Amino acid sequence: MAASNPAAGEQYDYEIIKKFTVMAIVWAVVGMFVGVYIASELAWPFLNFDIPYITFGRFRPVHTGAVIFGFGGSALFATSYYVVQRTCQARLWGGGLIPFTFWGWQAVIVLAALSYVNGYSQGREYAEMEWPIDILVEIVWVSYMAVFIGTLMKRKQPHIYVANWFYLSFLLATALLHTFNNLAVPVGLFSMKSYSLFAGAQDAMTQWWYGHNAVGFFLTAAFLGMMYYFVPKHAGRPVYSYRLSIVHFWALSFMYMWVGTHHLHWTALPDWASTLGATFSIMLLLPSWGGMINGIMTLSGAWDKLRTDYVMRFMIVALSFYGMSTFEGPLMSLKDVNALSHYTDWTVGHVHSGALGWVAMISFGSLYHMMPRLWNTKLYSDKLVGVHFWLATIGVLLYITAMWISGISQGLMWRAFDDFGNLQYSFVESVAAMHPFYAMRAIGGMFFLSGMCVMAFNAYMTIRQGVREANLVGQTAGAAA
Amino acid sequence: MAENAQTQGPQTTGHVWDETLQEFNNPLPNWWIWGFYATIVFAITYWLIYPSWPIGKSFLPGVFGKIEYTNSEGQTETWHWNTRAKLLKETEEAAALQKPYFDKLASLPYDKISKDPELSSFVVSAGKPLFADNCAACHQSGGGGKIGSYPNLTDDNWIYGGTYDKIQETITKGRHGYMPPFAEALDPAQIEELANYVLSLSGEKADPAKAALGNQLFHSHTAACFYCHGNDAKGRQDIGSANLTDKVWLWANVPGASDQAGKVAEVEKVITGGLNRGVMPTWEGRLKPEQIKLLTVYVHELGGGK
Repeated sequence: MAASNPAAGEQYDYEIIKKFTVMAIVWAVVGMFVGVYIASELAWPFLNFDIPYITFGRFRPVHTGAVIFGFGGSALFATSYYVVQRTCQARLWGGGLIPFTFWGWQAVIVLAALSYVNGYSQGREYAEMEWPIDILVEIVWVSYMAVFIGTLMKRKQPHIYVANWFYLSFLLATALLHTFNNLAVPVGLFSMKSYSLFAGAQDAMTQWWYGHNAVGFFLTAAFLGMMYYFVPKHAGRPVYSYRLSIVHFWALSFMYMWVGTHHLHWTALPDWASTLGATFSIMLLLPSWGGMINGIMTLSGAWDKLRTDYVMRFMIVALSFYGMSTFEGPLMSLKDVNALSHYTDWTVGHVHSGALGWVAMISFGSLYHMMPRLWNTKLYSDKLVGVHFWLATIGVLLYITAMWISGISQGLMWRAFDDFGNLQYSFVESVAAMHPFYAMRAIGGMFFLSGMCVMAFNAYMTIRQGVREANLVGQTAGAAA
Repeated sequence: MAENAQTQGPQTTGHVWDETLQEFNNPLPNWWIWGFYATIVFAITYWLIYPSWPIGKSFLPGVFGKIEYTNSEGQTETWHWNTRAKLLKETEEAAALQKPYFDKLASLPYDKISKDPELSSFVVSAGKPLFADNCAACHQSGGGGKIGSYPNLTDDNWIYGGTYDKIQETITKGRHGYMPPFAEALDPAQIEELANYVLSLSGEKADPAKAALGNQLFHSHTAACFYCHGNDAKGRQDIGSANLTDKVWLWANVPGASDQAGKVAEVEKVITGGLNRGVMPTWEGRLKPEQIKLLTVYVHELGGGK
């Protein structure tokens, strides 16, 4: 199967994709390890060891940065470069820009992590990077857009495949979001510190316009792009509905831009702005589900493969979690539900059902599909893909169940009054009540991380096998000549 | 594959990418379309209920109904539905529930409060979160304190006095415990003798010869311990000097020391370095007088006050 197009390695630029694939796996292991560590710190605080560099506050952005931008970002670079070349039948455009996007992006992740452990942070969620790193991100991103769009323009196909629209919207939206959310005035030319250009409620609104659209365009649209290529390709089935893909693409792109203010219900933000955020979140439900329907219905002709093909299982489970979290999100954005869920672990659980269940699972499926084709060999072990699948699935379920229980308990405890009109619980009592669920969450994370380590091993062995086979072919060819 | 799809199933769009990728031209599922319309209807309804679309410098206020509350100046204010008014209204409602109890608490003398069963339950109910939010950070949940840092409020040892009035004074004004360092006034041998004496006072094992010398030093004008701790070493609550004859240890972690030498060292550390850490902040201004009164009763009950 890997040899469907033996010349693909020469026709397309696979070197850059290989690099990003390897780094996606490396950052996944690193980022998930840090995630498990901070989850454990919350359950067993002695793990802080009184070392400032590894405390929750500094490690948390290291975790989110490594998994979102390191793992997620590298997986998107890898798959978008793969998809755009193959669906346009064109080699990547850009020359030196191409390796620059790799080294630049990796530098961003490393510099960001180093700056966080040393205490530098803008204090903006998912955009903690201080201004010098922001500028580097900007340059890398523009280069990425140039490479992607340049390749699209070289295409030999008259039509642009749907996956590429999603990648394009992700590229464009991320550029806008990153630029406007990070407008800040540095304290000095040689100071890492800067202050936001916005103030008060406007600053918060800009941050959450960024924050939720990072979810919308980075973690949703882009991974839908991934889904639109790898699901039909792996299933060997046409996409279920072309019309649905167009309608839900535009509806999704339009609706998402409005919803950020649902993160600021019951705050100093004017109520009218928060109402609009809530309603656009509700109207986003079906456009989001469009992607799930198209994915699941595409697989529907190939259910028999689910029994044997764990790569496909990753994809179907990813789509199920995608459907689940895009239902949960609009629900949580309603003012009255949010009054219960805001500031609780429910939010953390929601994010992880999307991040682990959807983003990570669809990436695993896509990377497993891509690896044998990149290195022109077979996967080292299909059995280990199965092991990874079960470890990951159990991990996600433990994680989100723990966070649902603890989140809803927190919400109920914080708002409980007794007959005298007194608060029934102190805050610290709610913290103590969370302990078993924090332990359960950490264990869920450990499952997910061990699955990831299995994948890393499988990838390493597959690559080694591919390289050996290539050498062997090279020797035979050499001997023949 | 492509031929199959065209002859049997729904039509594809006719485009093929990357050798095998195609798209069926299926219509939008009906339930999807109607579901989408339903969310739009929901959104429009939500816009009518809550404050929504901005118009010029104002916005649609929503038809949710008015919220009426009394502001800090005692005037009644009426607003369209908004989160701020809702918060003030709900705070007001909770305060109204509590008010009769707080009024009663303020009017009764301390000794009557604990004899009123209903008021006592109110004190426990309101005192728990008040204590947890204001006191527990130092005195720990439950008031057990921490040796070496914060006094235990659950024993019957009161450094500054365990009467209602003294507890109220402590919470209102705060406290600042101080003991001078003796590192320069005394030599190490003398400090060791004093430490043995102090240990012997509360029935701990001590070197009898050293303790006897310590006894003399304690009551001499060289060390002058008795100035603050008294001739009987039982301390003085008016200045907060510790009672050295009970088994309660606050600064020297004698119960935590593993051996005799460790116990002596713990006491020596306090004598050598003195103390300037026993600072409790004032709560006047941060808590209302009736909340301080309530906490006074709560803390008094915690430790079996005097």
